[in-house]
Amino acid sequence: MTLAGRLERILVPVGAIAAAMLVFGLFCAALGVNPLLVYASIWRAGFGSWYSWQNTLVRASPLLLTGLCTVLPARAGIIVIGNEGAVVTGGLGAVAAGLATQALAAPVSLAAMLAAAVFCGGAWIALSAALQHYRGVSAVISSLLLNYIAIALMNQLIEGPLRDPSSLNNPASYPLVPDHRIAYFSGTHVHYGLLLGLAACLLAGFLVDGTTFGFSMKVAGGNLRTARLVGLPVGRIAVMAGFLGGACAGIAGMIEVAAVHGRANESLNAGYGYVGILVAFLARQNPVAVIPVSLLVGGLLASSGMLQRAHDLPDATVSVLEGILFLFILLSDTVYGRLKLQGGRTHAVAA
Amino acid sequence: MTPPPHLRAVGITKRFGLFTAVDDVSLDLPPGSFHALLGENGAGKSTLVKCLMGFHAADSGEIRLNGASAALSSPRAARLHGIGMVFQHFTLIPSMTVAENLVLARPDLPATIDWPSERTRLSQFLSGAPFHVDLDSRIAELSAGQKQKVEILKELYLQTRVLILDEPTSVLTAAEADEILGFLRRLVDRGELSVLLITHKFREVQTFADSVTVLRRGRFAGGGSTRTLDAAGMAEMMMGEARAERRIGKTAGEPGAPRLCLDNLCAVGDNGLEAAHGVSLTVRAGEIVGIAGVSGNGQRELLEVIAGQRAASSGRITVDHQTHLPSREMIRRHRFFVLPEEPLRNASVAGMTVAENIALRLFDQPPFQRSGFLTDPASIREFAVRMIRRFSIRPEDPDAKIESLSGGNVQRAVLARELSGGDVGVLVAANPCFGLDFKAVDFIHDRIVETRNKGAAILLISEDLDELLDLADRVFVMSGGRLVHETTPAAADLAEIGARMAGHH
Amino acid sequence: MQLQPEGLGVWGIAVAVAGGALRGSIPYLFVSLGECLTETSGKINLGMEGVLLMGAMSAFAVSDLTGSPWLGVVAAALVGLLLGAVHAWLTNQPAVNDVAAGIAMILFGSGLAFFFGKRFVAPMAPQLPLIGLGFWSRIPAVESALRISPLFFIGVAASFLLHWIFTRTRWGLQVRAAGDDPQAARALGINVSGVRFLAITVGAALAAVGGAHLTLYFPGIWSEGISGGQGLMAVALVIFARWSPRRCLAAALLFGGAQSLGLSLQSLGVKGYYHIFNASPYVFTLGVMIATCSPSRRLAGMPGALGRK
Repeated sequence: MTLAGRLERILVPVGAIAAAMLVFGLFCAALGVNPLLVYASIWRAGFGSWYSWQNTLVRASPLLLTGLCTVLPARAGIIVIGNEGAVVTGGLGAVAAGLATQALAAPVSLAAMLAAAVFCGGAWIALSAALQHYRGVSAVISSLLLNYIAIALMNQLIEGPLRDPSSLNNPASYPLVPDHRIAYFSGTHVHYGLLLGLAACLLAGFLVDGTTFGFSMKVAGGNLRTARLVGLPVGRIAVMAGFLGGACAGIAGMIEVAAVHGRANESLNAGYGYVGILVAFLARQNPVAVIPVSLLVGGLLASSGMLQRAHDLPDATVSVLEGILFLFILLSDTVYGRLKLQGGRTHAVAA
Repeated sequence: MTPPPHLRAVGITKRFGLFTAVDDVSLDLPPGSFHALLGENGAGKSTLVKCLMGFHAADSGEIRLNGASAALSSPRAARLHGIGMVFQHFTLIPSMTVAENLVLARPDLPATIDWPSERTRLSQFLSGAPFHVDLDSRIAELSAGQKQKVEILKELYLQTRVLILDEPTSVLTAAEADEILGFLRRLVDRGELSVLLITHKFREVQTFADSVTVLRRGRFAGGGSTRTLDAAGMAEMMMGEARAERRIGKTAGEPGAPRLCLDNLCAVGDNGLEAAHGVSLTVRAGEIVGIAGVSGNGQRELLEVIAGQRAASSGRITVDHQTHLPSREMIRRHRFFVLPEEPLRNASVAGMTVAENIALRLFDQPPFQRSGFLTDPASIREFAVRMIRRFSIRPEDPDAKIESLSGGNVQRAVLARELSGGDVGVLVAANPCFGLDFKAVDFIHDRIVETRNKGAAILLISEDLDELLDLADRVFVMSGGRLVHETTPAAADLAEIGARMAGHH
Repeated sequence: MQLQPEGLGVWGIAVAVAGGALRGSIPYLFVSLGECLTETSGKINLGMEGVLLMGAMSAFAVSDLTGSPWLGVVAAALVGLLLGAVHAWLTNQPAVNDVAAGIAMILFGSGLAFFFGKRFVAPMAPQLPLIGLGFWSRIPAVESALRISPLFFIGVAASFLLHWIFTRTRWGLQVRAAGDDPQAARALGINVSGVRFLAITVGAALAAVGGAHLTLYFPGIWSEGISGGQGLMAVALVIFARWSPRRCLAAALLFGGAQSLGLSLQSLGVKGYYHIFNASPYVFTLGVMIATCSPSRRLAGMPGALGRK
C-alpha cells in the first residue's frame, strides 16, 4: 500500500464525515436552530467531559459487536442486515443459559452464557448466509425477515415460559443472579463488555488480514467464480463468516442481558442492531476501523438527549444525521482513485 | 430507392488519454461498394468505425457524406443519415420478441405503439427478405446465426444505406457467413447498399469485398483493390513484416498413458436447458486435445463444469482413473489447472493485487502460510516478483491491482499462477488468446506447448480453428452440446469440420 | 377491524379474511408495483421501507394540516418522487453499491419520517373515504368487513396500467430493454440512465402512495411502528411474482390474506401465540423466497441487468 493509498484511506472518510456534518448543519439552520450550537452540543455531550465519554463508551460498546455482524459476512461477499435478530437470539440464549446455571459459580455461568450467546446469534446469521449460498435467497431480505421472527420469538418467550411473574407491566424474564452479571469498571458506568467489543474488533481484523482463512474469505467475497476455480469451499466459508458475525452480535445481546439489564426484556430490541449496519458501512467493512467509527456514532447517540433538552430537537434528529452520514460515505466510494494523490488512473483502452 | 450516400472519412484521429487509437486514417466508401477493413486485434478498426457511427467524437479529421461535412454526434444522428452498424456483441434484447426488437429500433416510434399496424408493416417487410424469422420468438431462444440474421434484418428494416459490420461472422459457421455476406453482396450489386466489413479473415475479404483498407497500430498500413492484393500481401500490411513461418516446437513421440477423462458429462445452462450432453473424451499425458466449435454450443458450460464453477448434472471427471472433484486437495493431488476465458471476470479477483492473484493456488501452503494458519505477505510478494519477470507481466508491480492491467497482462498473470504451481498434470484452457495481440498470443502458445512437452495432458477449447490446427494433436468438434466429430490436424477436412460445426451431419 | 365471531360461521370468516386481504394488500401492491417498475429497468431499490414511512408520514401530516386526505396522497407521491430521485442519482454514481444505497435510504427515510412525524403522533387525521363493497349484505359485520379504501382500486388499475405500459408504449419497451441488456439498449440509442431515473422515481412515488394507506385508513394514526418491514417484503414479492405487474396484484392479495389470517384467527378466539401470529407474514415470505429462488438458474422473467454491475 503506497503512502498515497494510505492517506486516501483516511482522508476520504474524514472528508465524507465533514461534508455530512456540513449538510446536517444546513438542515438544522433550515429548522431555525444555530448549527454551530448544535455541533457544540454534540461535542459536549459526546466527548466534552469524562462523564460524556462514559456515555459514549456505553453506547459504543454494543456497536463494536453489532458492527462486526455486518462486516464479517460482507468480507466474504454476503450482506446481512439481520444484526438485530442475532442480538435478540443471543440475548435469549444467554438468559436461558444463565438461568439454567444459576446454582453454579459465576465464571462458569458467565462462560455458559457466552457460549449460548455465540451459538444462538451465530446460527441465526449463518442461516441467512446458508440460504443465500445454497438456495439463492438474498441474505438482505432473509436476515431482515429473521429479525422480525426473532423479535416475535423473544416476545413470546418473555411473556410465556421465561416470564417472571413479578414483572407485571413490563414483561421480562426471571432476573439473573447479581453475581453472575458483568461488572462495571469501578467508579464508572462503563461495563467490562467494552473490552469484549474491543477484543472482538482486533481479533476480527487479525482474522481477515492475517490468516489464510481471512484470505479465503476475501477471495470468496471478491469473486465467487474465481474462488470456486481455485477449489475454495465457498459454501463453508460463507456460512462460517455468517456464524462469526452473528456470534459477535449474540455477544452484544448477552452483554445487554448480563451487564445492562440483568434480565431479558423488551429493551433487548433496542435498535443497536440497525445502527450496527451503519457502523459497518461507515467503517467500509474494515473490522479495526469499526472501533473509531463506533466511538463516533456512540458519541452521536449520546448527544441525543442533549439535543432534545438544549435545542428542542426530537431524538430522531440523530437518525437523520446517521442517514446523511451513510449517504456521504457511500458517495465517497466514487472518489477513491480520483484524487491527485494517486497519480492518475490507468485507463482501460478501447480499441 | 435512393442510392446510398458517398461516405468518406478524412484524416480521423482519436485518442483516449495518452493512447492514440486511430492516427490520421482516411477511408473512402463510394455508393454501392463493398469495402473491407482489416487489421489485427488492437489495430483501431472498432474505434474508427465507432467514430463513423457517432459513438465517439473524433479528435481531428472530418466525415463527409456526399461531399458535405457531416456532424455525426450520436448514433441517432448517424442513423438519420442512413448509417447503421451490426456489432460484435448483439444489440438485441434477450427477453423481448423479434417484433418488439425491430419496433424498438425505429427512431420515429410513437409514444404509444399501435401493434396491429406495426405488425402489418413488419410482415410486409419480411415477405421481401431472404431470411425467415418468427416475429414472436424471443431472442433468448434463437441461435447465434439466427440472431445475426435478425440484426441485419433490423438494419434493413430501418432502411440503412451504409451498413457497417464489425466481425459479424465470428459466431457463424462458414456456410452461414457465406449466406449472409452473399446476400449483402447482392444488395450491393443492385446499388441499394454500401457495406463496410471489419474482419480479420482474408477469405471473406477476397470473396466479397471490392477494396480493402489495412490498419496497423492505429495507422493506415496499406490498401487497394482486392483484385490486385493477395493474402500474403494483406498479411504483410497487417503485421508489418512477413510473419515468419512459426515453428510450434512440439516434441515428437507417442503420448503417454490416459490421464484426463471426461465421462458422459452433462451440464445445464443458466436458462435451465441442457447445454452439454454426454461429453466423453480422454486426454493422454503429453498430448493436446482441442475442442473446436462456434461459441454458444456448450463450450462455456463444459469449461465451467471442469473448473468447478458449475455443477455437472451427470457424468464425472477422472484423472489417472480417480474421480476428480473441484476441491483444493484434489486439485493439488491431480495437479489440475484451468485457464478460463475472460480471465479478469472468471479467474481473478479484480480488487486484489497481482501478487495476491498469483498466490491464489498456494496461499494456504508453506512457505506462504506460516504456523498452519497465518499468511506470509512477504513471501507471496517475493514469489510474485519472480513470476512477473518470468512471464513478462507489465507493469512489473506486484502491488498493482490486477484490474488495472491490460487484458494480455491479466492473462499472463493467470497463466503464471496456473503454470507455476509445480508440475502440471492437467491443463484445461478456453480461448486463452481471445482479443490479445500477436506477441501475447505467441507467448501463451509457446507456454502451452512447453507444458505439453513436459508431459501434461492438455484440453484446449477454442473458437479459433487455426489455433487448434496449429497446437492440437487431436481435434474434436462440439456442436449443440455434443462432440460430433474427431480428427487430427493432418487429416482435417475443413469443409467437413465447418459442416459439423454448423450442425449438419 | 375486529369481527365478532358469533353468528358468522365459516362463511363470515371467509368474508372477513377476504376483506382483510383486500385491505392488507394495498401497501404490498403499491410498493411491489413500484419495485417491479424499478427492477424492470435493471436497478434494485431496497430503500422502499424508508419511502413507505415517509409516504405514510407526509400523507398524514398534509391530511392533518389541510383537512384533505387526497391532498395527503398527493403529498406522499411527491415525497416519493423526491426520495426516488435521490436514490436514482446516488446509484447512478460510479462505484456506489446499489444494496448499500438502499440500506442507506431505509435509514435516511425512516430517520426523516420519525423526525418530521414527531409532532403528529397521536390524534387522527382526516381519513380517505371508503367504498362499500358489502352493500348487498344485511349483516353489519360483513358490510363493515368489505369497506375498502379507494386506494385499492387505484392500485388494481395501476397494475393493469403498468402491464399496458410495458407492452404497448415506447417508454415501457425502453424500460424493459434497459433492464435486460443495457449495453444493447444503448446501442439502440436508448438513454439508459434517463429511463432508469424515471423508473426509479415513479416507482418510489408508487411505494409512497402505498405508505399513505397506512395512515389514512383505520386506525388512522401515525406512529413509528406503522410499518413492519413491508417495504422490504415487497421486494420479495416482486421476485415471487416474477416481475409481472399483474402477478404482483395476485401476490399482494395473497400476502395481504396471509397477514389478515392471523388477525382473523385471533378474533376467533384462538388464544395465546399472539406474537407467533404476528410473525406469520414474515415466515410466509421467507418460505416463499426459499421455494422460489434458485442458486444457479436464472429465474424466468428476471431482468438481465439485475444484480450485475
